[in-house]
Amino acid sequence: MTTLEIKDLGVHLGEREILRNLNLTVPSGSFAVLLGPSGCGKTTLLRTIAGLVRPTSGAIRFGKQLVSISSLVLPPHKRNIGYLPQEGGLFPHLSVAENVGFALAKAFKKIERDSIINEMLELVGLTGFNNRKPHQLSGGQQTRVALARALATKPAIVLLDEPFSNLDYALRAEVSGEVVALLKKTKTTSLMVTHDREDALVSADLIALMRDGQVVQAGSPENVYMNPISAQIAESTGDILELPAIRVGRRHYISALHPKSKKSFGKSESGYLLVRPEEIRVVETKKGTKGLTRATISQIQYYGHDAVLELGIAGLADELKVRVTGPLKFEVGSAVFLEHVGPIRWVSQIPTGE
Amino acid sequence: MNLLAVKQPPSGLTPNPRTSPVLISAALISLGFVALPLVYLIGRALQGDIESVRIVVFRAKTLEVFTTTVSLVVLVAGLATFLGSALAWTLQSIDLPRRNLIRALVILPIAIPSYVFTYCWLSLGILPDGFLAAVVVLTLSTTPYVTLAAMAALRRIDSSQVDVAHTLGLNQFQIFLRVTLPQMRNALAAGALLVSLYVLSDFGAVSLLGVDTFTRTIQNTYQGSFDRSSAAVLALMLVALSGIVISLEVSSRKKTQVTRSSVSITKQIEPIDSLKARIIAISLLSTYILAALIAPMSVLLFRFFARPKPIDLLGLSQAAFSTILVAAIGALIALLLALPIALLALRASLIGKVAERGVLLVNALPGVVMGLALVAFGSDFPMIYQTVGLLGVAYAILFLARSVGTIRTSLARVPENLTEIAATLGQSKARIFYRVTLPLAAPGVLSGTLLVLLSAMKELPATLMLRPTGFETLATEMWSNTAIFRFSEAAPYALLLVIIAAIPTFLISRPDRQESTEPMRDEI
Repeated sequence: MTTLEIKDLGVHLGEREILRNLNLTVPSGSFAVLLGPSGCGKTTLLRTIAGLVRPTSGAIRFGKQLVSISSLVLPPHKRNIGYLPQEGGLFPHLSVAENVGFALAKAFKKIERDSIINEMLELVGLTGFNNRKPHQLSGGQQTRVALARALATKPAIVLLDEPFSNLDYALRAEVSGEVVALLKKTKTTSLMVTHDREDALVSADLIALMRDGQVVQAGSPENVYMNPISAQIAESTGDILELPAIRVGRRHYISALHPKSKKSFGKSESGYLLVRPEEIRVVETKKGTKGLTRATISQIQYYGHDAVLELGIAGLADELKVRVTGPLKFEVGSAVFLEHVGPIRWVSQIPTGE
Repeated sequence: MNLLAVKQPPSGLTPNPRTSPVLISAALISLGFVALPLVYLIGRALQGDIESVRIVVFRAKTLEVFTTTVSLVVLVAGLATFLGSALAWTLQSIDLPRRNLIRALVILPIAIPSYVFTYCWLSLGILPDGFLAAVVVLTLSTTPYVTLAAMAALRRIDSSQVDVAHTLGLNQFQIFLRVTLPQMRNALAAGALLVSLYVLSDFGAVSLLGVDTFTRTIQNTYQGSFDRSSAAVLALMLVALSGIVISLEVSSRKKTQVTRSSVSITKQIEPIDSLKARIIAISLLSTYILAALIAPMSVLLFRFFARPKPIDLLGLSQAAFSTILVAAIGALIALLLALPIALLALRASLIGKVAERGVLLVNALPGVVMGLALVAFGSDFPMIYQTVGLLGVAYAILFLARSVGTIRTSLARVPENLTEIAATLGQSKARIFYRVTLPLAAPGVLSGTLLVLLSAMKELPATLMLRPTGFETLATEMWSNTAIFRFSEAAPYALLLVIIAAIPTFLISRPDRQESTEPMRDEI
């Protein structure tokens, strides 16, 4: 039961600044996920926490223990962490049992060691695999052995670096579900790196969104999905529409989806509304459409379980993409009516750059 | 809670990743061993006054020796490069039956030490000795070094390049000149360097054939007059010559960028399937194999079976035992010296780099020079002079580059993420090395050590100078018998030596092994 606390962390690799003023707190026993595009410094952050990369500034604390302050570090082997790299990283010259028991000190008697190994193998569902060699295991089994090895010493913190990336798609959901459930059951403080946003949303207690070497937003999956601080950040958790809009007064908005009403007067300001595609209700009937926006379907992308409609709206330059579920009852060229049913997310302007 | 508000660093936190002082001292000791021969040689050369140094350097005899040595090197390197690349191209590009067997036979002459080759040459009793004989003998026995390098280079050329050249309208010969040859350039230069260094350091062949190169002159000067200072001056001139050859090769090397159109494995060039090409190929290959392998081996076997007296079994087994004993001591010392150098070189440490370069430089030291240097060293420490231990040290320093090269490559192949995981699993650096790195690198470490062992068994000049009185190895027994034309008595020793030497030849001629010996060759 250990809280992971990172304060003002800075890391340079050679001349390049990889992380700057990074702050993050992972509460004890929770499963946190680092999400961000490749090259944003996710893996470097994980390796710095493990002690494999030396920071230039800032501090890292495991519970009450300070493991890193400015460029002073506790070497990795004294940190009591579990580390699951990509591909699992099993020692090819050792058997499954020897891999799992690798970190168990010589202080343990052989019987004690064996019982811990068996306990761990049972935990990951690989009882009886003791004498296999890593090359005799499937990808999913290798990942599970790597997890058993990481958990054998009851580490304070477990770090996972895209541990499921070498598994095929079908197996991935299964193994990742098992691993996350196991880490949550053992109440191990965990931090996982991924670039798969669905993986992150499904499994995390806490999502930390990274950009350019910083954690720009952190919170529960619902919170970061529903309350993104910018359009860019919103994109890292799901699709987002940027709807040109005018804010009138403090509470009234005018856009393609929000027609002008009597209350729309006062000081006005132009900007954007951020709308998730599933927050737009599509109505096809002509009854009860008063106050709704009329649109024409220009294209349909059919995905089976759902579909994305590209909609043309009078007065809007860009097409609007809206996700609809259920049996498809729309046709290209027909007219539909739209209603915004989600929360209002107002941004004064879309930052340029990305 | 302000994490930065810490007045003094808590215990256990370290400011810098320290390289273990044990490792650094071990590498420094290795470096000391590597520097030993050159330091002693220079010291010994300077014992004579400047005037006498000047006399040795500028006398007419020295100029003659210099001319002989340089012409021998140039002729042999040129001929071996031509012959070697022709053999390699033939083997790689023409569809032949039993190609793997032919390939092994073409490489096998490496296993015949030059003095054994010369023994076969002389024991026929009809062939002349002298300069031309030395050119022929050395060319035939060094050609496989070029063949090996050229074959490796040819294997790396993607067949799609040849296909494209065909579609652009080039014929086979034009493709060879404009596509293949430019890409073999570095490999041929490396092969020519190996041949040149071999010829510069060769002692056995030139001595038996009576050609006065530096090595023979150094040995004669040392033995005849015990004038160690003049011998040391000559030895330093030989070292300088080796240095020049190495720098020539380095400066001729072009940085070639390897471009691959995809990540897929290089496709091998389709062999040419034509009768005319096959006839030319087979006649070239069989002529070489006949001259360099079958002829000397037949002579050797004939001498062995036609000897008038029974084998001196006791002498033979004693010599074999001594050979193995002292070579094993050398291999063990080489392993101990090589490990810290290879480890530090991998970590981009300055000491490691310096030691590695030093090892490569010493690698070019002829055995005669090493012998002379350690004789000088031994005479300062009479306790170890003419002991098996000192001879072992000589072997270790002479062949250190071989073990550093292979050990370093195999250590570098241990995936970094495995050592990192071991660190996160609570293992200290020393324990990671013992539990992860060493077990994974073991095959390479072992073959590097084996290579030293087998090279040491064949070594002649340093053995002659440094062995304890009355201590005979297979090489010295065969040498002393040949020197007084007792060819039949020499035959069993020569045969056993060739059999022993064939083992590393099989090791290096296996295609999967070649990659691991290449970095060493490239960095000379």
